[in-house]
Amino acid sequence: MSQNLQKYVARRIGQLVITYFAFLTLLFVIFRLAPGDPTSMYLIEGMTPEARQELLADLGLNRPMHEQYLEFLRQTATLDLGESYRYSAPVSDIVITKFWNTIFLMGPTFLIAYVLGVAVGAFIGWVRGTAKEKAGVVLTLVARSSPEFWIGILVVGVFAFSLNWFPTGGMRSPGFIADSFWDRYLAVDFLKHLFLPMLTGVIFYMATPSLLMRSSMIQVLDEDFIEIKKAEGLPEYVIMYKHAARNSILPITTVAALVVGLSLGGSLVIETVFSWPGMGREMVQSVQFNDYAVAQAIFFLMGSVVIFMNFVADLAYVYLDPRVKYE
Amino acid sequence: MSTSLTDRLMDRIGTLPGSRFVNRRRLKRYKSDVIGIKNIVLSDWLARFGIVVLLVFTFMALFGPYITPYEPDAVHREDGEVLRSASPAEAEGHLLGTTNYGGDVLSQLIVSARVSVGVGLFAALIAVFIGTNAALISGYYGGWADDILMRVVDIAYGLPFLPFVIVLVFIFGTSIQNIILVIGLILWRDSARVIRSEVLTQKQRPYVESAKAVGASDLRILYKHIFPNVLPLAGLYMAFAVAYAVIYEASLAFLGYGDPEVYSWGQMLFQAYNSGAIRYAWWWVFPAGICIMLLVSSVFFVGRSLEEITNRELRH
Amino acid sequence: MLEITDLETRYRTDEGDVHAVDGASFTLDRQETLGLVGESGCGKTTLAKSIIDLLPRNGDVAGGSIRLHDTEITDLSEKELRRQIRWQEISMIPQTAMNGLDPVKTVGAQIVQVIRTHEDVSKDEARERARDLFETLGLEPDRVTNYPHQFSGGMAQRAMIALALALSPSVILADEPTTALDVMIQDRILRLINDLQEEFEMAMIMITHDMSVVSETCDTIAVMYAGRVAEYADTETIIKNPRHPYTMGMRNAFPDISQDVQDLVSIPGEPPDLVEPEAGCRFAPRCPFAVEECWNEDPEPEEFEEGHIVECHRADEAETLREEANDRETWQEMAETDDPTMVGTHD
Repeated sequence: MSQNLQKYVARRIGQLVITYFAFLTLLFVIFRLAPGDPTSMYLIEGMTPEARQELLADLGLNRPMHEQYLEFLRQTATLDLGESYRYSAPVSDIVITKFWNTIFLMGPTFLIAYVLGVAVGAFIGWVRGTAKEKAGVVLTLVARSSPEFWIGILVVGVFAFSLNWFPTGGMRSPGFIADSFWDRYLAVDFLKHLFLPMLTGVIFYMATPSLLMRSSMIQVLDEDFIEIKKAEGLPEYVIMYKHAARNSILPITTVAALVVGLSLGGSLVIETVFSWPGMGREMVQSVQFNDYAVAQAIFFLMGSVVIFMNFVADLAYVYLDPRVKYE
Repeated sequence: MSTSLTDRLMDRIGTLPGSRFVNRRRLKRYKSDVIGIKNIVLSDWLARFGIVVLLVFTFMALFGPYITPYEPDAVHREDGEVLRSASPAEAEGHLLGTTNYGGDVLSQLIVSARVSVGVGLFAALIAVFIGTNAALISGYYGGWADDILMRVVDIAYGLPFLPFVIVLVFIFGTSIQNIILVIGLILWRDSARVIRSEVLTQKQRPYVESAKAVGASDLRILYKHIFPNVLPLAGLYMAFAVAYAVIYEASLAFLGYGDPEVYSWGQMLFQAYNSGAIRYAWWWVFPAGICIMLLVSSVFFVGRSLEEITNRELRH
Repeated sequence: MLEITDLETRYRTDEGDVHAVDGASFTLDRQETLGLVGESGCGKTTLAKSIIDLLPRNGDVAGGSIRLHDTEITDLSEKELRRQIRWQEISMIPQTAMNGLDPVKTVGAQIVQVIRTHEDVSKDEARERARDLFETLGLEPDRVTNYPHQFSGGMAQRAMIALALALSPSVILADEPTTALDVMIQDRILRLINDLQEEFEMAMIMITHDMSVVSETCDTIAVMYAGRVAEYADTETIIKNPRHPYTMGMRNAFPDISQDVQDLVSIPGEPPDLVEPEAGCRFAPRCPFAVEECWNEDPEPEEFEEGHIVECHRADEAETLREEANDRETWQEMAETDDPTMVGTHD
């Protein structure tokens, strides 16, 4: 690695740490310093004042704020995420399974959506000015305009209710015992349940990279070197992919992190529509039921994933664009 | 029509003495700009379609409560029984049938426009207002203010939207004002980044230097000179912000975190979904979803046409 | 070797068809350097691009002929054009060298790519050739592994020329090759190009608006105006004995360092709209010597001395007109008048 590159990576890591810290602080602030009685979140109706005090002391909510903050940081670092009063179990246990359920749904969804979006966007940008482009843009915009849950409802309506090709929800058929990793995430039963929510996500999330890739392509295609490549007698597909697309993809990588954030957030909706037992759906429910420990833990996980992805995207950008290496 | 008017005007100016060579080119440029705008916005049938749809929804938003066939809250009965989830065929006088609770779907649909359009508009306004000002200040002054702002934007990008909004809305309450505020407080990040880039570019332009040389104060330069130049970009991002805001409000409502006091399309779908009606009550489910889709895509269609215009202008 | 006859190229736009090139002709022999001169919008770049059909989607060659080595290029299919002509026979150097190279690939890789697209050679062989080319151009052979942005302006220009020479073409199209460089580097590059022409036996078409560059490097000059060739002759004739008022005006617009104090004269006005070209000589509105004939009839190309072709009704009066053209007042009158038909009618 060159000197400059090392410096850049070091700087980025520094920024990562600061951003992460700020994120944790924000998390703390939101969940503790709400207007009104902050402790009301942690209490259940009908508690006696004594039980209330006990609970407060238990949760450490009667100690001064800065102490609570430090305690919070300590807990986070050791991944001691508290207990869920709803399930009466440690949060980490509950959340871990749900976390993986979501990753196995949204992970492939995001990857497919992104790759497909980029390829389609490159093509649409290449055939600029034709009817194909117009049609492509309209379809993409319509996909982008339909909230995930709406696409989900349509998809379920068509493929599950009407055609009966796929189950209408859940992650597994009732009665299906999943013991091994294979059974849990790679069996046909799982895949059948995976298909519709994944389709929903892909339709929605491929729109943004597709449109961006198209804009990027259009800009790149205007550049002189593309003309020179044509003058060199290179075949069209070589110019389109090896030169135009390769140059267009640079701004897209930074958006990848954004789309990851979108898809994690969207998991709340998609999982709800399809009753998928992931952390998105769990978050929606736990907030509703005041189970703040769980909600906080999930929020923490999601935010961490996104911040980390941002970091990865920045590094990927450096790898892809030789000009940055020598900044 | 405007073309011939411009043509005549050009000819007029062209015959003035001494103007023969000097103004021709500028006049030509104005003329092609006007033609350009007219062509793009009007002959691009997508944009035309978008404008029409937006006008319809705005009308619905403004006059909704007065044009509904029934009271949206009213429970309709037939022969003493509540008309639950009756299709348009079964329920006479209800063009879109009834909901699970006996309400008229069409009336609820019309009234919901107010929320969607309203949230979209106001949340976008807040977002772009904050975003533009933040961008102007951080882009122009640079230094630690810029660093801090960029870090804040980074974090804002790092937070997954829906979870964040759900938590905030739940803490502060699910009133429609809160929802607007919260959405606005998160959407500003998009416009901030882009406008800041543009401010940085504008900062290098000679007119800024000459303004400084003349002794203009920073604020004056910022708001009297730079701001008008980023206005087209801000306008464009406001359009997109409206689109996103509408989608987010609908998603919030669908998850059950909308304002229970008002009707919105997302709210309608929330009720439909939870009453299990999506299996069969297409008359209740489709119109609301399609309305969301139409509203947002119209904003996109018009926004894209505007993009072509602003791009041309930004090339000066 | 290369013959362009009555070439017509047009662009289809919303406002109508723009006749960017409306009947241009010239020839090019082996190792000859032709300067294609004119102000922006005169069609010179379009003309050059038409030769290898590098036109955008809304542009096409509407008429005329382009013959290279006795083959009619306009008859070739896209595939044949791509395989036989582009880069192999005719290559190009863009205005800013840096912009002509793909920023995410090394220069060497791009040279190798173009070689292997047209010839069946191994990667190693192609790499060797790339290194040789660099050396010929005065660049460190090791630098083939550098990216375009790592070269300075002048070096990038050399790298671009190396790329252009990779297949030993018969013709190089140079689009304002020195505009983006400072004068010293400009001089060096021009000299280099001249030397290489001899070594590689190449002809060159240099597109530029800069008369001073042209007078140094070109053998022949074609002055273009409004899509047509106003005057075409060898360099000396054009500089010393121009017969077209536009050429006279252009010549005056560039300072001659050998003279003492000069008045720089510029030609006032704008080029005409090429969508609906009006009847008559296109230069008439800006010409101080225009007479009634000029406004009504299109001038036909006439050969005066050998190889000197002009499109002007008053080309025979060139000697007297030249004197007047040297006088700043002649042009200034044009700038101030309302009715250009009145100016220049001194008889």
